[in-house]
Amino acid sequence: MILTRGVIARLAALGALAAVAQVVCFSKMDIFGSSPDVALLVVISVGMLGGSLTGAVTGFSIGLLIDCLLLETLGAFALTMLTVGYVAGRYRETVGRPTRAAVVLLGGSLTLLGAVVIAAIQIGTGIDANVSFLVVRDALIKSLIGALIAIPVLWVVRLVVCSALVDERRAARRTAAPRPVESG
Amino acid sequence: MYRKQVRRRRAVLLLLVAASLTLLSLYYREGNGGPLHGAQDVVSTVFSPIESGADRALKPVRDLVNWFGETFDARGDRSRLEDQVAELRDRLAREQTQQREAKELSALNELTSGGIVPDGTDPVTARVVGRSPTVWYSTVTINAGSSDGVRVNDPVVAAQGLAGKVTQTTPSTAQVTLITDADSAVTARVTPSGATGVVEPDVGDPSDLQLDYLERGTQIAEGQMVVTAGFSTGDLGSIFPPGIPIGEITEASVEEQQAYQRVHLEPFADLRDMDFVKVLTTHSGGRSKG
Repeated sequence: MILTRGVIARLAALGALAAVAQVVCFSKMDIFGSSPDVALLVVISVGMLGGSLTGAVTGFSIGLLIDCLLLETLGAFALTMLTVGYVAGRYRETVGRPTRAAVVLLGGSLTLLGAVVIAAIQIGTGIDANVSFLVVRDALIKSLIGALIAIPVLWVVRLVVCSALVDERRAARRTAAPRPVESG
Repeated sequence: MYRKQVRRRRAVLLLLVAASLTLLSLYYREGNGGPLHGAQDVVSTVFSPIESGADRALKPVRDLVNWFGETFDARGDRSRLEDQVAELRDRLAREQTQQREAKELSALNELTSGGIVPDGTDPVTARVVGRSPTVWYSTVTINAGSSDGVRVNDPVVAAQGLAGKVTQTTPSTAQVTLITDADSAVTARVTPSGATGVVEPDVGDPSDLQLDYLERGTQIAEGQMVVTAGFSTGDLGSIFPPGIPIGEITEASVEEQQAYQRVHLEPFADLRDMDFVKVLTTHSGGRSKG
């Protein structure tokens, strides 16, 4: 991904929109007792398209904004999303462009990773109450929802940053069918 | 060239992780008036109108998704009846609290009112504009803040019962920590038996609360109602007024009562799906923000 000022501005707008929409809309949805974590999927998508550095910086920024919007402990979501963004980016750098199946798997597994990291931060900072087994169920349902909507979210993120995706255009050219030779 | 890129990537990653951990650490150490809280307030205040607008704009989308879930749970038909039950439950809680107080204070000539909203309280109606995406933070953000008279520790009630208390404010928003949050503990009384205990959450399960620290020998049955106790001892007092409905006892096994002095209850308020709450302030003139 080639990061020009325009692309960075578009990423910033997308991140702010994702954070606000997550807080005011997606978190309030009730799907089998859980809710979709779209902001996290946006971070995963950016990581898959732009690599570990872009993923980590985007994750940190969106996470920090969510921390501020929720008036929660500063740094908790930032650390979670930075971790997820970095891992998604490392996948891109080590394995290459993810296939559709890989996007679904990454969407689910990295959403689960996000749930594990935030749980670890909570437990690490001390929690003075019983923890229900339903926390695990919530993480699993969130992960399943993440797997289901990973492709549409990646598609939207790709639309936003398409001008910066040099590798994707090259790959598209390589796979394009050759033009027929005109005769006469 | 490649090594340089790797070094740069690692440096940025380390910087971000260090920044996150530093923020976490400093945030925990500093008080509510610290610079990080101040910066957070500024960002929250700037985004507050955007959040309010987005909340209204995206409500149809949210409602559509929730509609499927509600239909699945066959909840659609119950809303009218739930409103009626909530109204009757409020009345019952108020009357039962008044009866108990009348018995206990029969030696006194002055009978204090056992109403849910105490005298001198001005409820401020606010819209729930934000919610945490994880079950670890049982908090919501509302669109009323210190400029509306909302202060830290003001009790917050939903349509069906107690929701939580205000834990942080900015001029235009406030953070409400729900009774299902790990940090929450509410002194409560079972009606009509009068047994008292502390309502604590079961983190991750918003439909289950625990009433702990019951006195030995108390007999509590399923179906009994739990309301706020509103204790006051010397300078120490509960921030919740007495008589606010909290929930209904759902599990009260004799074994658990004897071994742990504990029973389970389900909160009346639907804490995952509430659009409006009332903050019981003592500072403003009972305004509302839709």
